[in-house]
Amino acid sequence: VSKRKLLPTRAALTLTPAAVNKIRFLLQNKPEYIGLKVGVRTRGCNGMTYTLDYTKEKGNSDEEVLQDGVRVFIEKKAQLTLLGTEMDFVESKLSSEFVFNNPNIKGTCGCGESFNI
Amino acid sequence: TLLSENNVGQQLHRLPQKHVSVYTTGLRRFSSASTQQKPPEVQLTESCVKRLGEIMGKGDYLRIHVEGGGCSGFQYKFSVDNNKNEDDRVFEQGGVGIIVDQDSLEFVKGATLDFSQELIRSTFLVLKNPQADHGCSCGSSFSVKL
Repeated sequence: VSKRKLLPTRAALTLTPAAVNKIRFLLQNKPEYIGLKVGVRTRGCNGMTYTLDYTKEKGNSDEEVLQDGVRVFIEKKAQLTLLGTEMDFVESKLSSEFVFNNPNIKGTCGCGESFNI
Repeated sequence: TLLSENNVGQQLHRLPQKHVSVYTTGLRRFSSASTQQKPPEVQLTESCVKRLGEIMGKGDYLRIHVEGGGCSGFQYKFSVDNNKNEDDRVFEQGGVGIIVDQDSLEFVKGATLDFSQELIRSTFLVLKNPQADHGCSCGSSFSVKL
């Protein structure tokens, strides 16, 4: 029991390598922005949808996630919703998008943009 | 009798004019159809043309297919295709082309295809579809105007 290691507190949001690369690419020529901000908004046929914006500063109540050199901020309102979520970036010939694999949600819309908790 | 003759004369005078106007509109209609000046039934935005130019190889088309499903009844499906079937209509613009099959065309007639680029996602979208009543927020699903 004494040998039990203390686990580091889990990040509120984890990024996949694809997401890290994409965010790094998005920010590389934009020194005025320090990272991206993730939020949720009431919209869509299933209650809520994710928002993503560039951000210039860390808000007072934002949760900061720093992974592999990129920073993502989570709006206060979205923190509970997003807890434990994996943020991925999926790219195909016809579309490319950030996908949130959220363990907290109960259901999504067909297109995956909208979800409920 | 002089008056009636005059009337007849006027009528005779009018008649050919009418004929001429009917003839010219007929001609105009005919010529517009032959030179494709009527706007195509599916239009592409500039960003859509640009994106298709980047991703499509030679002989590739973007196919729009409408099928049942999604939260509003119908949804758009996009795929890359290089064969044309018999009932396909091809819309070309700016060196790129899209394919819509006849059944799907009924649902997208008059719409505009756009490539929307946002931070969170970039994807093809059907905009301003006169056949669609209201859609899902993401725009992939829609219900039909009755």
